[in-house]
Order: sequence, then structure tokens, then C-alpha cells
Amino acid sequence: MRALERVEARAIVKTYPGVVALDGANVTVEGGSILGLLGKNGAGKSTLIKLLAGVVAPDAGELLLDGAPIALPDPHAATAHGFAFVHQELADVPNLTVAENVGLGLGYPTRGGLVRRRELRAQARAVLARLEAEIDPATPLAQLSIAQRRLVMIAHGLAADARLFVLDEPTASLTDDEIAHLHRVLRTLRDDGVAIVYVSHRLDEVFAVTDRVTVMRDGRDVFHGATAEVDKPRLIEQITGTRGAVEARPRRVAPAGGEELLRVEGLTLPGIVEDADLQLRAGEVLGIAGLVGAGRSELVRLICGADRAASGRIVVRGSERRIRSPRDGMEAGIVLLPEDRKTQGAVLGFSVRKNITLPAMARFRLAKPLPLPNQRRERAAAGELVARLKIKVADVEQPALHLSGGNQQKVVLAKWLDSDADVFVFDEPTHGIDVEGKEEVYDLMAELADQGRGVIFISSEFTELVSTCNRVVVMRDGRLVEEFEGEAISDAALVASCYSH
Amino acid sequence: MSEHLTASAQNAAVGGSTQVGGTGEQPARDPGGRAAAVGPPGRNAAAAFAARYGLLVAFLATVAVFSAVRSSTFPTWRNAESILTLAAPSLIIAVGLTVVLVMQDFDLSFGGMIGLAGGAATAFMVNDGWAWQLAVVVVLGLGVLVGVLNGFMVAYLGGNSFIITLAMGTVLAGVEFGLTDQATVYDGIPAGYVEIASGELLGLSNQIWIAAVLALVVWVLLERSEIGRFMYAIGGNPEAARLSGVRVLRLRLLGFVVVGVAAAVVGILLTSQSASYAPNGGTAYLLPAFAAVFLGAAVFRPGEFNVLGTIVGVLFLGVIQTGLTMLDLETWVINLVQGGILITAVLVSRMGMARR
Repeated sequence: MRALERVEARAIVKTYPGVVALDGANVTVEGGSILGLLGKNGAGKSTLIKLLAGVVAPDAGELLLDGAPIALPDPHAATAHGFAFVHQELADVPNLTVAENVGLGLGYPTRGGLVRRRELRAQARAVLARLEAEIDPATPLAQLSIAQRRLVMIAHGLAADARLFVLDEPTASLTDDEIAHLHRVLRTLRDDGVAIVYVSHRLDEVFAVTDRVTVMRDGRDVFHGATAEVDKPRLIEQITGTRGAVEARPRRVAPAGGEELLRVEGLTLPGIVEDADLQLRAGEVLGIAGLVGAGRSELVRLICGADRAASGRIVVRGSERRIRSPRDGMEAGIVLLPEDRKTQGAVLGFSVRKNITLPAMARFRLAKPLPLPNQRRERAAAGELVARLKIKVADVEQPALHLSGGNQQKVVLAKWLDSDADVFVFDEPTHGIDVEGKEEVYDLMAELADQGRGVIFISSEFTELVSTCNRVVVMRDGRLVEEFEGEAISDAALVASCYSH
Repeated sequence: MSEHLTASAQNAAVGGSTQVGGTGEQPARDPGGRAAAVGPPGRNAAAAFAARYGLLVAFLATVAVFSAVRSSTFPTWRNAESILTLAAPSLIIAVGLTVVLVMQDFDLSFGGMIGLAGGAATAFMVNDGWAWQLAVVVVLGLGVLVGVLNGFMVAYLGGNSFIITLAMGTVLAGVEFGLTDQATVYDGIPAGYVEIASGELLGLSNQIWIAAVLALVVWVLLERSEIGRFMYAIGGNPEAARLSGVRVLRLRLLGFVVVGVAAAVVGILLTSQSASYAPNGGTAYLLPAFAAVFLGAAVFRPGEFNVLGTIVGVLFLGVIQTGLTMLDLETWVINLVQGGILITAVLVSRMGMARR
């Protein structure tokens, strides 16, 4: 397929029940150029991508390919035009091999109706070589890392001869080396004449890899420009719609040694978490740093009862607790805000209200001994939290399904905020959240700690650990290997510790 | 009773293609919320109304049609009461089934349980000379036990509910046949037992009262109680529910217990009403019960199983069944229409889900 000159979305309007996702948005991406698409959660980026992918249809407006209107009634039409997508949540088939995924839907090479595996693998190998990806095409996809799986999806687009690549938060959960590799690949594709849309909340990456930027706000495009001609404060101003850039956050000042809230001794899940010792004091924000796969989420899941440890002790406020389920964890005063909101955090079919009150139903009874919820009080409580977290909804009765990713994440946070738990575990709470939203999450954690609670904060973005934590422990290969406190916490130190062997 | 079985097997639908299909037309082509994209806004609202109340409209239309065609016999109080009485056992089992389906589990064992309940009660009273009250209590206990077994194997041991309960249904039929030697029993059933279903209260059959009370209990449980909220959460996202402190396994087990008890009640009512026992009387309820619940998921809250919807589904099937009987249709027509309505029900309810 020959390279395209230009894909334009013109005056696009798209509404969902209770939400105007796009309100006359204009976006243009050109062949041989990388466009950074920026905006807060709910600004309409995801909807725009779904539109290009043929997943949703616009209420008004048109799509133009090299000046001619096109219709994308279904995803197949998008593929036929040479559009390829790498979604934030991986949309591949884990039980097939790399080669089978790369060739998926493109027509496997066959003889007499049977797939010629060797040729299929050779095709995949050729495409992967273009991406400098050292991945054996015969490997089942499930065995690959997230970074490798993203590369496989790009390879799938290449194999389909795609002319437009759209990448939605492609560097989430990737290490710096992996990000550098991805950027190299994207530049190569661009130089081959491919048009690329790069959606990211990480401004440093946007400056590193894009040629042009478009900023969206409240469903409209508010800024277009060459990346080289803008600076970070200007972009932030456009993204947030407020003057003045977000100031660098001061470090959290360590409180005087508070009471010990949580002590973990020798917690072990063989092969995943080995002999973990941990201590958390009242008023403390404790960070857990580490690479993806180091066992951070697994460790906190053991502490909260989401998974069961093989051995080890958990002591809460001085008394040992047997925690074998999330419910046990809650009763011991430990709550978990899980990593993946779609699969673990929210009931998407539920309204915002029902999601928020789910862990605390007993508080909303018509009468104490009567397990019948009082919906009016639920609505009031949910409404308060929605306001406090600035969740963008018209009404708490709106289903969580249609909310933007960041707003869904906030709904999950809201579930736990009114809890009287002692220990709050935040697992990647800022994943996929915009700049302002991140600040709000940091404030929330600080607020909880200031109230005398303990916070455990897992993050892959070490800069946010530096500014929010009193103490950071580093996890490597299932073990807690190093600890930093106060001024000793720095991005460089954490990175060095994560990578040393 | 045999009349009832053929009758529920009729459960068919004149409305299979026309009315019901009409309700879901819009959302049908709408995997991504796309119906909203075409046409003026008024059409949108109409589509939403059709998706939500289409089945109800179809139900009322069916009543109207039968009333017009058989104006002297159909639209009478007597006939209404007979339809309600006939529908009562279906309602009890369908409402119970709604509870497990809400949590995305299946129970296919209730057919066997209905048969076992009737068989065991008869055997206890006729062969062993038990007091009927004792037989009733023990049979209800059996329902609980079977529910606990199902729930334990499915929720706690992780068995696939479809296969486990299908197998359990076969086991229960085996136990039933072992207790009764597969012999039909006409004599020796105590009058007090017969009175359970045949008696009347305030001019209405006891069966209607029992069904109404059980439906109300399940409605409160699912729609108004914490447990119901938790059950819908489990159906929506079991892991999120678990991490929110919901006792997922326990509630899933409870769902199977509800079905077990409902099936035991139905088994008792069927043998009580006919004052006789015929082997394997429950299997014929499998299809109609599922049909009613899936039809119900196409009304009020499209795409979601709900008690009020189930009630409409049961009444719809009951009206169709009685109406078709009055029209003197042949058995093969009845079979075609019965299968047709279940397929339609499933599709319409899928459309509702896709629409969300």
C-alpha cells in the first residue's frame, strides 16, 4: 500500500449517554510525521482513536483520507485503509505464537488448506527484524514481556502494510531501555513515510519522539503546533486550560516516628515473593520501586489477602493477623487499590454510585440490623466523593463503563477513601491519569498519611516516588533488596538499585 | 400434570419473530453504541424505549390478540386465574434461576431436583408412612443439600457450573428412580399434602400465593438488599467484588441453594396438585425456565437478568401456552415455536447487553 499523505478528522461530534466525548474535534496527521496527541483524561483522545479504528461512529463530522471522505463502519474497514492500532490494554491473542499473532487476520500462507508454519514464522521473523526485536516467532505470546508484546502488535501492523499507526500510551509499564527502543522503531517507521499518532501523558516522551503536537481539551482540539516550537509549560497550560505550570512538588517531610501500623515478616510465595520483611508507621508514605515483574504487586496482594502467602507473618498494630482473603485484609484495616481498574477495580456495568459504595455497604443501611441499602444516602456519599476527586460525571447514576480511563481510576480510588482502614495500598494509582489527576492522587496519599494512616505506594515512575515518599524500598526478583529514606531517595539511586544485579 | 408439561412445552411464541424481534432491532447492529449515531434524536429515545419495554408491549399485544380471537373464553377472570395457577411453578423455579444467572453461573440440575422432590415426598409418605409435614420439611432440606453440593463443587472447587449441574441433574434423576422404582403413584397421597397446592386462600390458588411470596422474597433479595448488590457485582466483575470484600464463593453457593429450594418447592407443588406422582417430572421445566429468565433480561433493564423481567417472561410464556392451546395447534407447531422463542429470547437479551 502506498504511503498516505494525510488523515483528517473534521468537526467530529460524539456523545455517550450523559457525556459529550467529542465536541467538534479537528485532528490531522501526516505521512512521515509523528503526531503527539495530548490531553487530560476525558479530553476525548480515546474516543477519537476508537473512531479511527472503526469501533465507534461519529454523530457528526467527517474523516478524510488524502482529502477524500472515508467511512469506517467497522474495524475491518480501518484495517483495509491501512490503519493499525497499539492499544494501552493489549489486544492480542496470548495463547497463539508470536508468528500467529503477527499474521493474524492477514491470511496465513497455506498449502492445500493447511497453514505452512515455517513460512509463517519466516514472514514474522522478517517483520520483527525491521523492529530490531529479538523475539523467536515460535514463542507463545503469553511468555513475552509487555514491551515485547507491544512490539509484536506493531509488527502485526507492519505485516498488514499499515500506513497509519496509532499508539495509545505505548510506554506504560516499559523500562527506559524499552522506551528508547520503541522510539527508535517509531522514527524508522516515520522515515519510511508512515503516519504515527502517539498518545501519551508523559511530556518528556512527547518532546523526545514527536514532530507535531495536538492538544485536546473537553472534546475539542485547542492547540496545534510543531513540537520544536513549544515548551513544556506552554503545553501544560494548553492541556490543563489554566495559566501557570504545575510547580515541582516539594518532598514529603518525614514525620516523627509514628506508631507501627504494619509489620510483615518473612512473607513468601515461592518463586514470586521471597522472604519479604516490611514495616510501615503511622504518617508514612512508603514507596515500593522495582521493574515490572519484580514482584511488587504480588507482594502487596499477599499483604492485603488478594492472594495467599505460603509462609510469613503479618502484624497489624501489634497483633498478628491471619489474612486469607481481601475481606480478612479489610477487617485487619488494610485495603488495596488494585493495579488494573478494568479487571480488578471497577464493576463497569455498575453505576458510579454502586461502585463507590460497594466496599462499605454496611454503612448505608436503612437501619443497622437491616441489610437493605438506603440509596439516597448512598447517592449523597458518592456525590461528595465525586466532587472531592473531581470525577467528571453528570450524575452518580451514570454507568462506569462510559467514563474515561482516568475517571474510572478515580472511581476506584473513591471506593476506599472514606474507609477507616489503617493501611492503604496504592498499586500504580496514576497509571493512565493526566497531570492534574496525578497531583490529586499525591495529595490524597499525603492527606491519608497526615491523618495518621500508613500508605504503601507502588509506582514505575520513580520521580513520583521521590516527591511523595518518606521511604522507598526496592524490589528485585521477588526480594526487597534496598531501602532509601528522606534525602537519599532519588531517581538515579532508585534506577541504579533496580538494575544492579 | 401431564397436561401442564405439554403446556409448558408449548411456551411458544407467536411473538417469537415479530414482537420480540422488534424490540431489539436497533441495538442489534450496535456493538459500539452506534445506534446513537444515526437518525434524529427522537429515534434514539424510541429505540431505548423499545429495548426497555418492547417485550412488555409484545406481551400486552399478545394478550389483546388472544382476547380478540377467543373473546368468549380468553379474556375471563377464570382464564386469568388458570393461567396464573399454571404459571406458578414456572415462576418459582425461574425466579430462583435468576439468582444464579445474575452471578453468571448456570444451574441445569433443577429439572432433576424437581423430579426428586416429588418422588422423594411420595415415597416417604406412601411407602414409608411418614407424616406429610415431615416429608415436606425433609424434601426442602434435600433441596438445600443439593444446592450446597452444587455450590461447593462449582464455587469452592472451581468446577464448571454447566457440566457440574448437568451431571448433578442426572445423579438426582438416578436417586429419584431408586426411591420410586420409576413407578407412577396415584393412591395413598395424604389429603393434607394434596391441600398444599389445591387449596385456596381469598379465592386464589395457594400455588399463586406461594409463587407470589417467593417472587417477592427474591425480588427484595436481589433488588433491595446488600446481598443482591453483591450478587450483581459478582456477575459484573467477580475479582473487583472479591477485592471489595464481597464473599464471592459464599454468595455463589447461596445462589445454588436458592435454586435447590425453589426446585424442591416446585416438586412438592406438582405432586400435591395432581395428587399423583409420575417419574422424571422436572426435566420439562428446564427449557421454559431458562426461556423465561432470558426473555426477562430483555425487559426493564436490557441485558441484565432481573426478577421483574423474569416475572414478565413467565407470564408471557404462560399466556402464549394457554392461547395456543385454545387455538388447537398441533404438537409439531408447538415444538417449533418453543425452540424459536428461546433462541429469540437469548438473542434479544444479547442485543441488550451489546447496547450497554
